[in-house]
Amino acid sequence: MKNGFQFKNFYQNPSFPSFLILLAIIILNAFLQPNFFTYRAFKSNLLTFTPLILTSIAQGLIILVGCVDLSLGATISLITVLMASLMGDSVMSMLLVVLCGSGLALLMSLVNGFIISYFGPPPLLTTYATSVLWFGIALFFMPTPGGYIPSAFSKMYRSELFLRFPVALIFLVGAFLLLYFISKLKFYKHIYAVGGNEDATYANGVNVFTTKIKVFLLSGLFVALAAVCVVAQTATGDARSGLGYSLNSVAASIIGGLSFSGGKGSIAGPIMGGLILGLLINVLYFANITSFYQEFMKGIIIIFSLAIGAIPKYLKTRSL
Amino acid sequence: MNISYILEAQNIKKSFDGVVALSDASFTLNEGEICGLVGANGSGKTTFARIISGLIKPDAGQLYLYGSEINLKSHLDAEKLNISMVHQNLSLIPEMTVWENINLGREKATSWGILKKEEAIIRAEEAIRELQVNISLYEKVSQLAPSEKQLLEIVKALSRHPKILILDEPTASLGFKQVEILFEKLNQLKQNQVSVIFISHRIWEITRICDRLVAFRNGKTVGEIDFRIQPRDERLIVPLITGKKENGEEKSIHEKRPIQSFETSDVILEVENLTKKDKLHHISFKVRKGEIVGLGGLNGQGQEEILFILAGYLRKTSGKIKIDGQEVTIKHPSHTIERGVFLVPGDRQKEGLFLNHSVFTNLIYPWVAMKKQKFILPLNKLREEANQSIHTISLVPPDLNKLVSHLSGGNQQKVVVGKWLSLSPKILLLNDPTKGVDVETRRNLYHIITDLTANGVAVLLYASDNEELIANCDRVLIVFEGQIVDEICGDGICEENLVACSLRVQ
Repeated sequence: MKNGFQFKNFYQNPSFPSFLILLAIIILNAFLQPNFFTYRAFKSNLLTFTPLILTSIAQGLIILVGCVDLSLGATISLITVLMASLMGDSVMSMLLVVLCGSGLALLMSLVNGFIISYFGPPPLLTTYATSVLWFGIALFFMPTPGGYIPSAFSKMYRSELFLRFPVALIFLVGAFLLLYFISKLKFYKHIYAVGGNEDATYANGVNVFTTKIKVFLLSGLFVALAAVCVVAQTATGDARSGLGYSLNSVAASIIGGLSFSGGKGSIAGPIMGGLILGLLINVLYFANITSFYQEFMKGIIIIFSLAIGAIPKYLKTRSL
Repeated sequence: MNISYILEAQNIKKSFDGVVALSDASFTLNEGEICGLVGANGSGKTTFARIISGLIKPDAGQLYLYGSEINLKSHLDAEKLNISMVHQNLSLIPEMTVWENINLGREKATSWGILKKEEAIIRAEEAIRELQVNISLYEKVSQLAPSEKQLLEIVKALSRHPKILILDEPTASLGFKQVEILFEKLNQLKQNQVSVIFISHRIWEITRICDRLVAFRNGKTVGEIDFRIQPRDERLIVPLITGKKENGEEKSIHEKRPIQSFETSDVILEVENLTKKDKLHHISFKVRKGEIVGLGGLNGQGQEEILFILAGYLRKTSGKIKIDGQEVTIKHPSHTIERGVFLVPGDRQKEGLFLNHSVFTNLIYPWVAMKKQKFILPLNKLREEANQSIHTISLVPPDLNKLVSHLSGGNQQKVVVGKWLSLSPKILLLNDPTKGVDVETRRNLYHIITDLTANGVAVLLYASDNEELIANCDRVLIVFEGQIVDEICGDGICEENLVACSLRVQ
């Protein structure tokens, strides 16, 4: 049985380039950010990165099944607006509102998933359309940032449990455990099958429709988690708060080694990709690059990361 | 309806977007029998197989299993009835491993939905051992050789322990030894009362393994041979496939091209030892000025690859190509277009035309793209030339401003030919040029091509329809599994010869 660890399998893994990039950027960070390895820096980084990592997982699942969701950001926005409009001071109301927001996220994912898998329009355009729709609804209810988030809610997110275990980390660890559980499921194999070749999967008797719907619902769950983090961190409802997340999460997934056509790569990839993007912004900040150039540099580094990931594929197809 | 049949199909009809694939297919299968299904390309064999396995629904007709009518709503229904199919365009997921593929769609799981991985791997291992295949369970399918993929596909179907097994050209990419193992397995299945439908183009395989055969032609069942009563003679099968009786009724719609000798003409295209990895092996041939050379044989034996390499779409692995006696390196389509070698593609809508543009735009495009141009186009001059071109190709209607998408299929194809005329072609490569074109325009198109050859243009023609080769070619090269195995000249070009050579019947 050759089931054990093999170095060849390791470096041929589509996530391998992103692993190298991640190492490089951590080293860079360690040099630039003072006290990078202290608890304080770790926690502040953690608070900033968590929403993007969670959204990247949501996006990664959808990309694995061969679709893409550009409405994830608008979903986050709309949920922050909902939560900031409804939340009261009591614990009960906080809990209810979080549940409400999560329910809305699931519903929105379901709408996307149903349209895409039942009628079959291109996911890119479908979710672009729904993202405009969600954004419009959010703007309608809250044209300017506002609403009320009790400070207790924000504090809870920033607080620590026993042994100084940050609450934000619970979100991440919870998400990872959930992913680990999913990766053991029979359904997980079907995600890759549908993403790899839909017709062939159908010919094997797998229900393609329900597989896609389940993936969208699952991604809705991760987006809901991300939205809760965003609300807790910004303490406002903002129709624009989620805008960057859609394309950043796509970039994170592709940097993490997923194939845009689906069915290829590991779900650990988007997690690393999300981390890379987060650390990237850190590096630019601590390298004292003026904010005017930050976006410019960010663009260059993202292109660079994408190119590194694409090299093996390029070498393969060139021999045509 | 007869109870003794395990499977019976009556008057099955199916069409796709108005194109009839099956017009009247009937079929019976006994228990524990291997039944061959034969027919030319496009005779409806695969469509029929897909209907039995529940992948597509028939428009009309009945299916009976053990004498009772069944209605297959999906592939799952067929699987529940123990019908399994080995697909021709493989149903494997390239990015998944061998064991995952074998188990796909019927993985066992706990009540929590957690995959029973160990059990799945054991099942895959047993399935693979049964067919004596040497593949690693943990290899990704994309890393396997074509023959290994084909074997895996068979392994997968067998691991479902079917009562009825449909094999759609299972041997197309298998080696000799692997075919032997497969046949041994099929005979063993037969002992266990499993019924097998065996689709193949290789007649010698049919006569060897099958107990009976059913022949399809143009979507109809046209006959059957029971080898338990009749002799296993390949010569009995060919007329069933081609539809020609012994008395030789001619049904050709084409006037045959007069036999000419080109011995004295200059060689314009010479191909030596052309090889493309896994596709073509040591292809050598010459084409002389004014000659039409056909590439015959079964579909997908490498004919298209030859044309694509000559047109610069694909790269060769090794070999020499000489045009006008000069060796050329072809790395890009423009390299051959410069030398007057033009491809008329089979899928004209995708590869040959800008559908949403006018006839004029399409006609001048190669000219604009290839010739050294002034910055501003001499539109009046181009219009004149384009007018001449549509006259030569007798376009109906002769209107330069008409959108190409509004033309009929045949006239679209004329535009594809016409766009090369202003560049004075030397060699035309035709890739199945009359796909979906009616008889009249077909004749028209070949008129244009014949006229061109009178002016010294050489033509290399691949047609999936043998009749076109018969009517138009001076010579036909038979391609089989990437090699030229035969050459038929002059009077020898007839349906019987072509089919016999294509199927390698001696």
